[in-house]
Amino acid sequence: MLRMSLLATLAFSLCQTTAQAQMSHHQHASEAACEEVELRCASKVTPAFASDGTLWLAWMAGGRISVASSKDQGRSFSAPVQVSREKLNLDWGPDARPQIVVEKTGGIALAFSIFRDKAFNGQVLATRSIDGGRSFAELQPITSSNESQRFAALGLDADGSVFAAWIDKRNRVPAQQEGKKYEGAGLFFASSKDGGAAYTEARLASDNTCECCRLGLAFAGPGRPVIVFRNIFEGGVRDHAVMTFADPATPGEVHRVSNDDWQISACPHHGPSLSISPAGTYHVSWYTNGKARKGLFYARSQDEGRTFSDPIPLGRSDRNPTRPYVLAGPRGATMVWKEFDGEKTSVNAMISHDEGKSWSKPVTIASTTDTSDHPLLVSDGQATYLSWMTKADGYRLLPIGDGS
Amino acid sequence: MKRCLLAAIFLIASLVAAPGAETPSELKPFVRGSWQEMLRSHAGRPTLVHFWGVTCGPCKVELPLLGQFMKNHSEIDVVMISADLVPNLPGAARAMLEKAGLGSAENWIFSDGFVERLRFEIDPAWQGEIPRTLLIARDGTVTTIEGSAEIPDLEKWLDRQKVASK
Repeated sequence: MLRMSLLATLAFSLCQTTAQAQMSHHQHASEAACEEVELRCASKVTPAFASDGTLWLAWMAGGRISVASSKDQGRSFSAPVQVSREKLNLDWGPDARPQIVVEKTGGIALAFSIFRDKAFNGQVLATRSIDGGRSFAELQPITSSNESQRFAALGLDADGSVFAAWIDKRNRVPAQQEGKKYEGAGLFFASSKDGGAAYTEARLASDNTCECCRLGLAFAGPGRPVIVFRNIFEGGVRDHAVMTFADPATPGEVHRVSNDDWQISACPHHGPSLSISPAGTYHVSWYTNGKARKGLFYARSQDEGRTFSDPIPLGRSDRNPTRPYVLAGPRGATMVWKEFDGEKTSVNAMISHDEGKSWSKPVTIASTTDTSDHPLLVSDGQATYLSWMTKADGYRLLPIGDGS
Repeated sequence: MKRCLLAAIFLIASLVAAPGAETPSELKPFVRGSWQEMLRSHAGRPTLVHFWGVTCGPCKVELPLLGQFMKNHSEIDVVMISADLVPNLPGAARAMLEKAGLGSAENWIFSDGFVERLRFEIDPAWQGEIPRTLLIARDGTVTTIEGSAEIPDLEKWLDRQKVASK
């Protein structure tokens, strides 16, 4: 009850700030509130909690990637550190965002993509900090290939190594030279044993996957990364697939998450989300506009992704539900997504205490009246938080009540 | 060194500005209300509205085909709307349109940071995937093509419009 009223207070104060911000807010043809490098100007913000409870943020603002930390759950932050001296042509695709993992030893690994040329070919750059985020090593390409790479995902394995996966166009030209049609891009991966300083040679996990959506990455256990991605199935059907690795160097089979039958030759810019509970349940949420179903959906698997439950729809279909995110936290699984009513965007949340078999009624936990980043979930091992960057109201970290 | 840097910046700036300066084509800012304004101005005429973006792979393939389609069919109004998330890039958008033979089409570019609201005005169910083509008949009936359009399908639709008007 206390938690619920805390949530209500937070939601109320957010609305208040919204109203105040709106009064002074004027039309601005940008997705960011300002053009400088500070957090309030960010268009994309990615959170990660360290094992000591420190919140770390990596954000995109003013053509830079910056990092700062908070010891008081986002109320105040350390002086931001920019990871590059020069301004970068950062990938501003809707699903692009900096990736951050914080090791138990305090090391920080980052990856993000830039546009390297006028044709918008991407390049994934990586760096790390070994001094608690005070400085970052020179940016390094995650792979030596010069073909386009985008949508990197980073995950921290149980042994402290960093696993990276991304979308990579390197197989396109060789296929075309052989006179073959090449669709989409390859899902590539690599790992780092030294906290993100050097990555192993990039290897292909699955070819001909969708080229413009974020990946969902989690671990089924130590050394067993799992990736959920928008695949291109037979006939150009861009439905979701899951792959469980046998170990960080051995990709597994591709299994279909759902048969949505979305045949489209386009960039949905709308990737999936994956989380795996300590009991081993795979929670997946995604967007489709297929013949079989349209909208946001959730399904779970209890056999390591070989089969999935029937998809359940999320959100109100007349309110354009978007950007689903799921996280199996210490007190159950939480799911959030955005809805838009014609004037304001709200984040709705629901919770499951039975491994995703049943979910609470959706509750609106935050809203804003201008553009916003995707809603993300992050856990400090105690509670689950909504992490949400908004243009009008700045950055918000909101604890989500457990519904009990 | 500083002077060298300044010269480089000037050079890059003029290079970036060049395509715009050379071409008379206009990119109209697409903001709140633009959708209805556009619909009103084409009412009663068969209209092809195409949503695209500079970073969209399939769009790069489709744009020149649409350019040729427009050249072959003066009887249809062609409206191109660059619907990438802002920061949208007018220079890059203009260059791609010119190259595809679409410089003389009615060209718009999303210019409101609140892209969800713009899309909601166009079609509440559209989540921003591009390319996307809307074929608007004389009576206002809309046919939506998700993903790359096949030119023969566009030709067939246009033939039906001619039959309907007889």
